[in-house]
Amino acid sequence: MSLPNDDSTSSTSDAQLNNIFGDLLDSIIVDVASECHRIAKLGLDRNFEEEEEEMRLSAQARVRVADPSNSSEANGKYVVDIFGQTHPPVANEIFECMNCGRTIMAGRFAPHLEKCMGKGRKARLKVTRSSTAAQTRHTRGNPGSTYSNYSNSNSTSRLPNGTSSVGGEEYSNGALEES
Amino acid sequence: MRKSVNRQPAPEVEENQDKEPSFEELINIELIESGEKERLMELLRERLIECGWKDEMKALCRSFIKKKGRNNVTVDDLVHVITPKGRASIPDSIKAELLQRIRTFLISAAL
Repeated sequence: MSLPNDDSTSSTSDAQLNNIFGDLLDSIIVDVASECHRIAKLGLDRNFEEEEEEMRLSAQARVRVADPSNSSEANGKYVVDIFGQTHPPVANEIFECMNCGRTIMAGRFAPHLEKCMGKGRKARLKVTRSSTAAQTRHTRGNPGSTYSNYSNSNSTSRLPNGTSSVGGEEYSNGALEES
Repeated sequence: MRKSVNRQPAPEVEENQDKEPSFEELINIELIESGEKERLMELLRERLIECGWKDEMKALCRSFIKKKGRNNVTVDDLVHVITPKGRASIPDSIKAELLQRIRTFLISAAL
């Protein structure tokens, strides 16, 4: 089989190339269509129902956002987000500090930890209290003064991670046992 | 029963073939027999998946199916939905790559 003369048939060979390419493409298109058809008929598309629901919800949310009568940023303390929820400016969930055992408000937790764990100068003075708190939790009979000295240096050089055994397990000098 | 795919009837085999097989047919036979057609199809399939073309086509299908209802759709419908957009949205680089491969094959097949 020999190729026809190039001059006269270069356009036809281009056409042939395109034909062959189109042929390949058609086969692939039929494959894709057949695959989608199968998935639809067998109900394998798990997102089929969810998409409609999500589109409805997003349309609803969009309506709510566009609605000027809703409270906006400038309007009072509380901002309404797209789900209609409001968040107070300071987080007000209350829980217990794991270092000192006080009940703290979530929005005030970070400044509290600063003082409680010894970033600042005042923390050193609080060390006795934190060691007592740790002691009462572990009920260990450790000498209070040496313990507080250690935990003092420990807490200024390296912030413990706030677990109940603060300054306890970090340095294993054999004096303390594992819980 | 409704046919879900419209296919042309298979060509009849005649004892006396008074027509010479055309050039295109010869090439097609050569493509298939050498396995090159299969390789080209796999290459094209892979490229189209990589560039997201297949996902676009599947999305088109899904929206059409949603509108028409799952049980009223035939493969033929989907082929007609996809074909115009599918042919038009082939990235140029992919088309060029495939055409180059086909051209190379034609040249080598001629020798």
